[in-house]
Amino acid sequence: MRKFKCSVCGFIYDEATGLLEKGIAPGTKWEQVPDQFMCPWCGAPKAVFDEVKEQATASAPLTDDEEYIESLSELSVGELSALCSNLAKGCEKQQLTEEMDLFYQLADYYTSKVISESGKSFADVAKLLKSDLQDGYSKANAVATKKADRGSLRSLVWSEKVSRMVNSLLDRYSEEGDAMLENTKIYVCDICGFVYLGNDLPEICPVCKVPNFKMSQIGRG
Amino acid sequence: MPAVRNIRLCTKDCVCLYVCPSGATDTENSIIDVDKCIKGCRICVDACPSGAISLLPDEYPPQQPKEDRVVNALRILAQSKVQQEGITAAIARSSDSTITRQFAEVISKSNRIMAEDLLRESGYMLPQSDEVRNLLESMIKNPPKDFPLEAVEKLLNKLNNNNKEVRKENY
Repeated sequence: MRKFKCSVCGFIYDEATGLLEKGIAPGTKWEQVPDQFMCPWCGAPKAVFDEVKEQATASAPLTDDEEYIESLSELSVGELSALCSNLAKGCEKQQLTEEMDLFYQLADYYTSKVISESGKSFADVAKLLKSDLQDGYSKANAVATKKADRGSLRSLVWSEKVSRMVNSLLDRYSEEGDAMLENTKIYVCDICGFVYLGNDLPEICPVCKVPNFKMSQIGRG
Repeated sequence: MPAVRNIRLCTKDCVCLYVCPSGATDTENSIIDVDKCIKGCRICVDACPSGAISLLPDEYPPQQPKEDRVVNALRILAQSKVQQEGITAAIARSSDSTITRQFAEVISKSNRIMAEDLLRESGYMLPQSDEVRNLLESMIKNPPKDFPLEAVEKLLNKLNNNNKEVRKENY
């Protein structure tokens, strides 16, 4: 009997116990679980589950000659906008309301300078996202692990999981189109960006574990 | 060090009203009045039975130094997220379908939050840090004509920098 783990939220499907609440009998092999199976915690599709291996294979440590990460130019207006809106949130936490407003003013200024990406589609987003998942996260995780940077590793764990969820939703959307959202609600976690598609919000965010009052429903305007 | 109340933890025991010497805790909107609060007095903090009040520090500790290579790796991802945010924001503005707009808005917001978090970890956690001060100073060096210069100047004046002298004393 094998076990399969959701790569978004960590839920484990155990073939030995099955999943009675979803009508899956004990002893049901992973291959026999229906393709439309979704993670009972976060709603992620069957495709993002990985088999749990007994011995975790540690990734090979980096050597110093693996200086593959190019240095970046100065911050783009898009980055500056996100930086400023995050600093505004930081000021809000410290009850510095005037400073919060000033940082939001700067964030708005930089947003207004972002050149509009008109003419692009969800497929372009999916392409960028797949490159993040295939390349960006493994490199970033390797270097942050090497430098024992806990804060960065935390941030990478969250956004990699969220990226997997967004990736699976984009894949579904490209097949189903608007029908995917027709009869269901959709939420975004204010803390980590996790997207939940469904009517019964979990108690806590499946990725960052914040209580669900921090998950905002996005309506149709 | 003003006192702040976490309204999610407050169970309306109202002991803070009873013990506060200045009446700062007695407000309509449940937010402790910063102007009335006797900074550092902490009588309400210790008295609150639900642990809902804490003191905000005047000075924040310096952040951990960040390695250039880690910062670069985080920024490569953040740039990608910012781009994805931009594309979906444009879809959310232009699509004729309300559902497409809704989905684009969701993906845009999600990417914004991921970008914010990745950039926060690339050395900009605290508004009071040297890194943020340097960033603000760089913004006003050669500003474009329509740049909100005054906002940056106000921030530089108002933000209490957790400065280098403090860092030397403590570490």
